[in-house]
Amino acid sequence: MKIVLRFAFMLAVAFAIVFSIYNVIVLAAAPPSLAINIEHAGPRQMEDTTQRALARDYAAAWQAMTQALDQNRADLLGASFIGTADDKLTATIHEQQKSGLHQHIVDRGHTIGAVFYSPEGSAIELHDTAHIELQLMDGSRVVHSEDATVHYVALLTAAENSWKVRVFEAVPAF
Amino acid sequence: MTTASKERVIKYAGMMAIGLLMVCCFEIAMRATDLNVPATVAAGSGLSTPTSGSGSATLYVYGPGTAIKRKVELGQPIQLSADELQHAGRYVISLDDNRATFFVTAGPVQSIAFLARPSRVPADTPNVITGTAFVFDKYQNLVLQPQPVKFELNVNGQTVTRTETTKNGVAFAKLDSSKKEGPAQFVASSGPASVRRIVQEVASDPCSIRMTVVRDKNGILARTDPIHDCAGNPVPDGTIVTFTSTDAHGKSTVDARIKRGIAEAQLPLSNDATISVASGVVAGNEIQWRGGQ
Repeated sequence: MKIVLRFAFMLAVAFAIVFSIYNVIVLAAAPPSLAINIEHAGPRQMEDTTQRALARDYAAAWQAMTQALDQNRADLLGASFIGTADDKLTATIHEQQKSGLHQHIVDRGHTIGAVFYSPEGSAIELHDTAHIELQLMDGSRVVHSEDATVHYVALLTAAENSWKVRVFEAVPAF
Repeated sequence: MTTASKERVIKYAGMMAIGLLMVCCFEIAMRATDLNVPATVAAGSGLSTPTSGSGSATLYVYGPGTAIKRKVELGQPIQLSADELQHAGRYVISLDDNRATFFVTAGPVQSIAFLARPSRVPADTPNVITGTAFVFDKYQNLVLQPQPVKFELNVNGQTVTRTETTKNGVAFAKLDSSKKEGPAQFVASSGPASVRRIVQEVASDPCSIRMTVVRDKNGILARTDPIHDCAGNPVPDGTIVTFTSTDAHGKSTVDARIKRGIAEAQLPLSNDATISVASGVVAGNEIQWRGGQ
């Protein structure tokens, strides 16, 4: 009987460890869910491959941004952000570091409309309605917590083999 | 303890509890702050909002490019400087238990990001030059309010102008290339901002090709007249012209590049050959060669 209990306990512990690792590695790394509508993108028509690449790269950008703002690591931004978007996020992180602040964002998904695709195919503008759970932290203390729906205007430009976010601004409404 | 004493103790305890509650309420009332911030603030204009209550509190401001934590005195207005509110976006301000959100919006147009494509185009071709302009304020915020953008294409004094209004911070135009070749100045301007790009307009496909052939010591020399496009622009040097000679022995083909406006090729000697010339999709004249006659 003792052996059975012991075995059950060890099994439970092993399961808990595996579950925790799964949560940390798999779920934390899971990209946010995106629904992209390209009907109003123009003047250039968007190809399927471009739409897929856009979704992949924009999701990666959000993932990088949430991690960078939470861990105060500007080095995570470079693969997905460029230009003023990169400058502003980097500045945010430096200011957070100075004050001991950080932001914890849980990404609940995005409804995205592509509103512009430049004639020569090098720039795409998105209207992103993001559903997020936002916690503004001072060390381990929560300063502010909210479930928010935030509208973002994002301008992405074609880089060597991916799309990078060049402009990223929250707006009151579209 | 007598019943009267018990009642007295309960009475005093109740009074003390009420007193304590009143002190707490007073303290809370004294510290209470209302954050009255406007819904939107123009970038770089700063913000001042009054607070009520007394004592000190910690102010937090989270926004793009900003993360502020500082002590403020309640009862004194909170000042956020122009530098602290440069970047367009959503800001959260927190003071004690009061929170508010507001948006910083872009100011007037101060700069343009201008994409002009392609850098080299054939002359006299419709809708071949595209210009895309993104408008920004002095803090590099995208200006989302509609703005007029003037696109101007100038080649050798010939100017084509078109004004478009931005939508979501961007305007674009498709323009025809001019009839004459040369470097075109392509300018996008909005308010005080102006950006210039150069688009090289070159002759388009040849309009017609005419060649002559002569016998020389090595065989047959085929040479074209100066080659122009239909607008009279010389077709650029380096353009490939193909000469073909067909006789009883088969077909000989020579690809030659235009040099100083003409192309020439040495073809094998033949007594009876048909010689033709072409460049791209344009075919030139055909000559029946009869041993030099």
